[in-house]
Amino acid sequence: MKILVVEDEYEMLKSIEASLLSEKYLVETATDYSSGIEKALVYEYDCILLDISLPGGSGLRILDEMKKNGITANVIIISAKNSIDDKVSGLELGADDYLTKPFHMAELHARIKAVLRRKQFDGKDVLALGNVLLNHTRRQVSVDGRPLEMTRKEFDILVFFAANINRLITREALAENVWGDHIDNADNFDFIYAQIKNIRKKMKDGNADIRLKSVYGVGYKLIIDS
Amino acid sequence: MKLVDHLVYRLLGMMLPVIGVWSVACFLMQIYEIYDGIDEGLINLKQEFIRQANTEPGFVNDMEKHNPLNIIVKKADYDSVKHLEERAYTGMVYFATEEEEEEVRLLETAFRCDLNGQYYTLKIFTSNVESNDLIKNILYSLIAFYFVLALTLIFTGKKVIRRATRPFFHLLEKLEHFNLDEAGMIDFPKTQVKEFNALNNSVKKLLENNIRIYNEQKRFIENAAHELQTPLAIVIGKLELLINRQDIQPEPLKEISSALNILGKMKRLNSSLLLLSKIKNKQFPKSRQLDLSDIFMQVFDDYRELTEHRRLKLDVYRQGNPVCSMNPDLALIMVSNLVKNAISHNIPEGTIRARFSTDTIVIANDGNHHVQGDDIFERYQTRSDQSQTLGLGLSIVKSITDLYGMEISYKYDRQHIITIHFPDNRRKTG
Repeated sequence: MKILVVEDEYEMLKSIEASLLSEKYLVETATDYSSGIEKALVYEYDCILLDISLPGGSGLRILDEMKKNGITANVIIISAKNSIDDKVSGLELGADDYLTKPFHMAELHARIKAVLRRKQFDGKDVLALGNVLLNHTRRQVSVDGRPLEMTRKEFDILVFFAANINRLITREALAENVWGDHIDNADNFDFIYAQIKNIRKKMKDGNADIRLKSVYGVGYKLIIDS
Repeated sequence: MKLVDHLVYRLLGMMLPVIGVWSVACFLMQIYEIYDGIDEGLINLKQEFIRQANTEPGFVNDMEKHNPLNIIVKKADYDSVKHLEERAYTGMVYFATEEEEEEVRLLETAFRCDLNGQYYTLKIFTSNVESNDLIKNILYSLIAFYFVLALTLIFTGKKVIRRATRPFFHLLEKLEHFNLDEAGMIDFPKTQVKEFNALNNSVKKLLENNIRIYNEQKRFIENAAHELQTPLAIVIGKLELLINRQDIQPEPLKEISSALNILGKMKRLNSSLLLLSKIKNKQFPKSRQLDLSDIFMQVFDDYRELTEHRRLKLDVYRQGNPVCSMNPDLALIMVSNLVKNAISHNIPEGTIRARFSTDTIVIANDGNHHVQGDDIFERYQTRSDQSQTLGLGLSIVKSITDLYGMEISYKYDRQHIITIHFPDNRRKTG
């Protein structure tokens, strides 16, 4: 999987690059409009992470140029401007998702995986984690072919973990993934804890190969037992 | 009291006594002139009488005997007349035909007849009736003139003052409708009056300064919040990379995690501030007709797991559909902040009550703490039992209701009750 990151903030770029490399992606980077558009038009990428405000021009113009040249890559806009207009015009120009800075790396991975999945499986959107199958289209989970009953939020949480195997997910990143940006209530953490407890019980009862491991009260990690 | 009336009354308060004094003086002068004219006639008559008395022997005796109607002449000795001074006065004389005394103008004098050396007192009089009528007429016309003048002064004064102060009232009206948020400079009318121009210029300068400072502050908050986003993102990204390193020890992991927690708070605070300034800057222009009760039910459904977890009950009562014209994103932000507030500040197994009618939504939730007045809509109002809550949610709601001219109020009556009223709803929805 080849990913292009167009981001002018060097330290930000380094963090994203490091995080993507840990997931075994091939990563290329561009730090301004001209190098960004050059790479986007010349090479093929599975996914492009595109900042909007770039030196030399707008990321939206890169999108526009790609569209004019018939290039259909998966594009996730990453912008510090949580502007609805940018979001709308970005999505209209063919971007697949819009992520507002600051974001959690786990969230970025989840978004990239979702975008890649949609492209690769084309309907048969199923992910195998050991003996656990996650069917994203039908929102169903099965262990060894036996379906597991899961609530909406439990399924969302499991999908989020599945995009971040072996990565420590803080309770905060989890709460944000489940409730969106603006929930900031301590009560959500015990809600999250209750959800995790339910998922664990269901996985254990179904003899699943995956488990959600607590990490020092900081967060959780999805581990596949092989 | 209106300025125009105030000025007119002040002006009248000055003018009317002056005019009054002037009228009285004028009246007295007229009377004096009239009597002076009559007296002059009497004096002429007297001189003619004395001349004839001195030249025609027996004239005085005839006169004394026949006693013509307007002349009374009597013999007198020197002693009784030597101190008599000639004087004209208004007195009463008995007229037999009228059978009563009538007012007349009298000239009383004395003379010595050169022909016989005899002293006489002489009273000559003339009827006063016509002059009295004249004086009456003068008095009446003066009074009428006085009132007409006063009324004219009131009306023309008002008109003139109103016209002259038009630039002032124009400015006043513009200032009353001036709103810093709208940031448009008011237009100042051209005027010939130096002071009005000076006033306009000073107000203009003052407003320009205020608009500039206000915009600078707005931009500063916006920029500060915006510029913080990237550094925050970098720090969060780097710390998240750190906690995922294989060789990290539990202690640093916990420390970094609590730092991440704080950064998360900062991030949310920052994005709330950005949202607030965007709402204030009216960066959500596109509106359409929305049913807020539908949005409420949809948002509530999104939080279903959370409410089930806290075992909260929902009690919805729909009297009508609260339809209003709003930006869909803002409507969603407003309603979800209200729902989140009702969930966060509820008690376990509490109730959330929602009442909808065509122009009002009421959202109430159980809770123990009474919060004073409308303070809860102010920024950074935090409650002691909710250390995680930043308290910006309701100020976001408030700024949205302000934007759309809705009224929002809070009261505590065994539950926290937030009411939003949109008065122009009926007109829009017919």
